[in-house]
Amino acid sequence: MSELTTVDPLDALLRDYFRPEAAPPGLARRALAAGAQDTADLAGLAKRLVIGATSEGVCLIRAGKQERPATAVARRLTEQTREEIAEYLAGERVFFSVPVDLSETPPFQRRVLEAARRIPFGEARPYAWVAERIGHPHAVRAVGTALGRNPVPLIVPCHRVWRSDGGLGGYLFGAELKRRLAELERRTPILEGCTSTRIVCRVGCVHGRQMRPDHRVVFGSVEDARSVGYRPCKLCKPSAAA
Amino acid sequence: MDSDRALMARVARGEEAAFTSMVDRYGGRLLGVARRLLGSRADAEDAVQRALLSCYTGAGGYRPEWAVSTWLYRILTNICVDELRRRSTRQGRREPAASRPADDGEPGRYMDLHRALERVPREARVLLALRYVDGLSYDELAKIRGISVNTVKSQLARGKSLLRAELGKRGASHE
Repeated sequence: MSELTTVDPLDALLRDYFRPEAAPPGLARRALAAGAQDTADLAGLAKRLVIGATSEGVCLIRAGKQERPATAVARRLTEQTREEIAEYLAGERVFFSVPVDLSETPPFQRRVLEAARRIPFGEARPYAWVAERIGHPHAVRAVGTALGRNPVPLIVPCHRVWRSDGGLGGYLFGAELKRRLAELERRTPILEGCTSTRIVCRVGCVHGRQMRPDHRVVFGSVEDARSVGYRPCKLCKPSAAA
Repeated sequence: MDSDRALMARVARGEEAAFTSMVDRYGGRLLGVARRLLGSRADAEDAVQRALLSCYTGAGGYRPEWAVSTWLYRILTNICVDELRRRSTRQGRREPAASRPADDGEPGRYMDLHRALERVPREARVLLALRYVDGLSYDELAKIRGISVNTVKSQLARGKSLLRAELGKRGASHE
């Protein structure tokens, strides 16, 4: 505290403003109770998915039993997808790097899915926003149908499309999962810096996976990180995302 | 009474009583930081609960070379910084209720300071909160935010200079 001994009216004002609060009774108990809810099995979903892939990318994600993919490339893509989805559901990934193959999808639906794919992690847009974005502002219902048949949910984030009145709307894995995905994304930071390398990455970057937990520090933007001496990762390019 | 590190060792073994003692020891200070950064009591309590839970579930990964308070503040500021990011994203999209005035029960008393602080860049604001809630040293601040001591000093100086300018503009008397 020796650095604070100089008499400065602003110091006194700030000390008064930032005084500690009285902790509410039962804070520890409530924290533990919230944890018990959080640990309900969201991560287990990744194991219950059947994933289809062509040599171009992932083309199908549904609940079901996995069959052996036909080619080595498809096998590799399937495994990569399952791994990325598991990390996403564990709050350790905010973007997917696996390619998507929508070549078998009808043109209207593909445009809907491509618009939905641009909704950033942790955000939501109304069905009407998607309809406007693809140049069919009155086709809100058709947008809903197209999203309901999304062949690659989670990777194309149709769960980020909600009703204009703030209601969830439907979801092919059920509305409860849609709500939980929104909650997951609300609690997952998107940028993390490594205190030893002073590099800032998107959460889920391969650099982050090698980071020790006590080296991890969250930033609000790439600019914030730069302002305190961090540089953006050249691999995951966080400037493009945040 | 257990030392902080002894308490953390017990928390890591899953002793809920030790966790409760740790919350009694640090809950108020964590809440002070979160409330002044996030503005509302409800959001602050949510952030502190998440930080405490993360501390409980991650206690096994705690490294004894860290002061427990430093470790807790790292976890909490990681959560608060991300919450502030989400709010600025929502504000950018003009969604309502992105920022609430501080519900500190003393209307108007700190309104000028609260507004002036909103003009201070996030990193400097976080450092100011940590510095004044617990009088943390420059070294501790540097460790919490993973930055150099010189950067801590320059960020704090810049933050305070911006505050002085803002408060001056508003004609607030803080002298």
